Amino acid sequence: MIVGAQPAPPRGLYLHVPFCRSLCPYCDFVVVAGAAAFGPRSRMGGYLNAIEKEIDLRATLADKTFGTLGSASRQPLETLYLGGGTPSLLPTERLAALIERVRDRFGLAPGAEVTLEANPGADERGDLRGSVQAGVTRLSIGAQVLDTSALRTLGRRHTPDDVVATVAAARSAGVTSLSVDLLADLPDLPFDAWAASLDRAIALGVDHLSVYALTLSLGPDETGDDRLATPAGAVAWRERAAAAQDEERGAQELEHLNSRLPAAGYDWYEISNWATPGHASRHNTLYWERASVAAVGPGAHAFDGVTRRWNSANLDAWEAALQQGELPPGGELAAESGTAGVAEGLVLALRMARGVERDAAVRDGFGDAIAWGESNGLLTQHPTDATRVQLTLRGRLLSNELFARIA
Amino acid sequence: MSTIPQSRLRNFSIIAHIDHGKSTLADRLLEATNTVEARLMTSQVLDSMDLEREKGITIKARAVRLDYVAKDGLTYGLNLIDTPGHVDFAYEVSRSLQACDGAILVVDASQGIEAQTLANVHLAMKLGLVIIPVLNKIDLPAAEPEMVMSELEESLAIPREEVILASAKSGIGISEILEALVARIPAPNGALDAPLRALVFDSHYDTYKGVVNYIRVQEGRLKTGDPILMMGSGAACVPVELGYFRPQHVPVQELVAGEVGYIATGLKSVRDARVGDTVTSQTSPAAEPLPGYQVALPLVFAGLYPLSGEDYPALREALEKLHLNDASFTFEAESSAALGFGFRCGFLGLLHMEIVQERLEREFNLQLIASAPSCKYQVMLNGGKGELLINNPAQLPSPNHIDEIREPWVSASVVTPATYIGTIMELSTDKRGIFDGMEYLDEKRVVMRFQIPLAELIVDYFDQLKSRTQGYASLDYVESEYRVAPLVKLDILVNGEPVDALSTIIHRDRAQGSGRNLASKLKELIPRQMFEVPIQAAIGGTIIARETVKAVRKNVLAKCYGGDITRKKKLLEKQKEGKERMKRVGSVEIPQEAFLAVLRTDAD
Repeated sequence: MIVGAQPAPPRGLYLHVPFCRSLCPYCDFVVVAGAAAFGPRSRMGGYLNAIEKEIDLRATLADKTFGTLGSASRQPLETLYLGGGTPSLLPTERLAALIERVRDRFGLAPGAEVTLEANPGADERGDLRGSVQAGVTRLSIGAQVLDTSALRTLGRRHTPDDVVATVAAARSAGVTSLSVDLLADLPDLPFDAWAASLDRAIALGVDHLSVYALTLSLGPDETGDDRLATPAGAVAWRERAAAAQDEERGAQELEHLNSRLPAAGYDWYEISNWATPGHASRHNTLYWERASVAAVGPGAHAFDGVTRRWNSANLDAWEAALQQGELPPGGELAAESGTAGVAEGLVLALRMARGVERDAAVRDGFGDAIAWGESNGLLTQHPTDATRVQLTLRGRLLSNELFARIA
Repeated sequence: MSTIPQSRLRNFSIIAHIDHGKSTLADRLLEATNTVEARLMTSQVLDSMDLEREKGITIKARAVRLDYVAKDGLTYGLNLIDTPGHVDFAYEVSRSLQACDGAILVVDASQGIEAQTLANVHLAMKLGLVIIPVLNKIDLPAAEPEMVMSELEESLAIPREEVILASAKSGIGISEILEALVARIPAPNGALDAPLRALVFDSHYDTYKGVVNYIRVQEGRLKTGDPILMMGSGAACVPVELGYFRPQHVPVQELVAGEVGYIATGLKSVRDARVGDTVTSQTSPAAEPLPGYQVALPLVFAGLYPLSGEDYPALREALEKLHLNDASFTFEAESSAALGFGFRCGFLGLLHMEIVQERLEREFNLQLIASAPSCKYQVMLNGGKGELLINNPAQLPSPNHIDEIREPWVSASVVTPATYIGTIMELSTDKRGIFDGMEYLDEKRVVMRFQIPLAELIVDYFDQLKSRTQGYASLDYVESEYRVAPLVKLDILVNGEPVDALSTIIHRDRAQGSGRNLASKLKELIPRQMFEVPIQAAIGGTIIARETVKAVRKNVLAKCYGGDITRKKKLLEKQKEGKERMKRVGSVEIPQEAFLAVLRTDAD
């Protein structure tokens, strides 16, 4: 039970790097690009100084709350995730310094997973050998699709060959765990072309695949978040692209994954994620298990087991505060206790293949939703543990129908 | 306020079409007589309801007393009784006119006379009121005063030398109008020493003062503290307060024959002090009441339902409260499988329905859904079982019990530029209307008369009329008679379950088209479900149209950006809220918006 839960020391840390070579019109991440990312007016230097300060401030706070590093109540981090943006754009020595700073202040357990997100373009993937030397153990490559014209439609700078080259470079650099990110339900891409792209991705022989249906947020953000406004050009692009998506085709693609990926040796472990044994993302698993994860960088989100907290997505505001030696502005969501917390835990856990313990969910008051999921073919008994239920294939495609009955 | 002798009182009203400048003229009269201080002057002073200001219409009659120093140096008490202009509120107009001795007829100098205005002027003339014709907006470039004056001459026999040229906006002609009120309208002539007789021409409910009656004293005097008797209801009371309107209440000690004012009765129920009743004195009552008013009967009926079922008691309370201020609508409890518990309400017309719904939503903070408007049908049962009056399609017995169904018809008149004669003819006959004749008002404009079924009129006739004539045509109608018609009940079935709120009584020839249209609209509006959902239109057991909502195939959230569970949760909560607002029809979840959208659109 979450009731009366206490904040827990972080087991992972998310570090947001907001820079990109160029903006992708479908992306909602907190990103700056162009002159702000490169050249004489680059914000990179100011950002790097500020992020080091934030690591220090957050660590000091953790020291106070949970005890100093190395004490029984404050274990070193199990995961570090550098996400973006395009973290592979960080100069190698600064990347190394950042990881060192994290190791110094938060600790990194032996065998910790250190993920770096990378873009496949030759001028974007960075110095992979240097990254591995700096401590990166896992590379997540933003391939999106291995189809030349589909990549062009998406406004990506790279080609399918760049993806192949990046995977080869990563392997030879000694990256121990390699993941490729893919999208489904792409505008104007026929099913056969998409399936061929998937086969090319499988042929790369990576350890982990993420496949998300492309979700285009249209119109004003309705959640009232502190998010950056979508540029006008991107809005127009999204409207065109959304019209060229096809729910039926998207559904077929997601269904195709279910037969194709296991045959290729990837186990389904989360709604959108497949991995060969031992290569599931440990960092993302912390989120799905509702574990404590710290976060630094503009727009980054943290959770301490009780409260969700986030930094302002505004780079200026974030940087200005840190220059003054203060924590950046942001927001937080009051203690997630009671039913809301349990519901959130249930929704997150149901994303995973291991599912949830049926009796516990019923006991917590979600019997109706579970029964609805079962009778509509969204939930089924876990294949190896009769006390648990998990999403069916249909359930994975329609998960929100179920989650909206729980959340 | 000094007492003004009866000989210097003038009671008048303003008759005008929407947008012809009635409210602006009223504002100018108020200013010119210093009735409202300049710093308190807002536009449309008399239209105090937000809804009235937004829609630019007057809904409730109001009165205001203007003290005017005329050119003869004497002070006159001018009582302006403001009236609604829309056809739905014709009954309010007739009541207000009965309290007057004259009326200013405002006609837009570029638009000319409209259907509504014609009807109201005829009414005023029948009541023997002096008409003061005013051509407004004469300073606009499009003004055609000569043409409009000949229109007045030809259609209403108003001599052009009586017409005052004015522009309420720029203050032209205001002093002439004030002088004409004094010179042309006769002073009221009720005997001051006769027993008290005062006509209630409107009322509203005040939490502190109880029912407040707006009255015109015809004969006698009423003093503060005098016990009074309502001759119709028999209710007796000692008024809490008497007074004038300015336009806010100004208490006085006495109201005498000829005056217009209010009585705060302290009575708790509007039923005890109805509009049209006669107020007299308990101590020396009058022998006969004044001729009252014909009670306005609802023509249009619809179910009003709260969006969320728990608001049902709140809706009942709101209807009861609103009814205290507007006794012209009716309501009784009903329930619908699709919409839950609600009320069957009767309205004077579509605008009245819209206004009641909006007032309930705004003034009582309710969210409502209205079922398709219907009228009152006479159903002759077979086997000598007599006649049934129904105002709800759900009440219609099955066809094998019915001999015939009769529907109400209205006599409609449309005033329009002659260029639209063909268009209006087409629209009206398309709506089963029967052409009754046409007269030219002048060389450019005509009055067309039709007999038309009310059911057709309340669907979208007015909207169509406006849009097909670029807003130039105007409409007036009165109930005429019931006629037999081949009417059937059209049901809409979702996943095999009838949606009672969407059932309509419709002409047999229209059923197919309407059924197809409703089914295809619903198809667009019903979100995909977990399974395939057939939508059917049926008459009795016969399916006449069918559509299918395909099953939902995928509903997954996008990638979680940097651990941003919060956003994901918000998006899920939005979906959840959406689900909670759904109504269940069998196992199908239908959003309220779908009903609203279907109910709001025309059936063509």
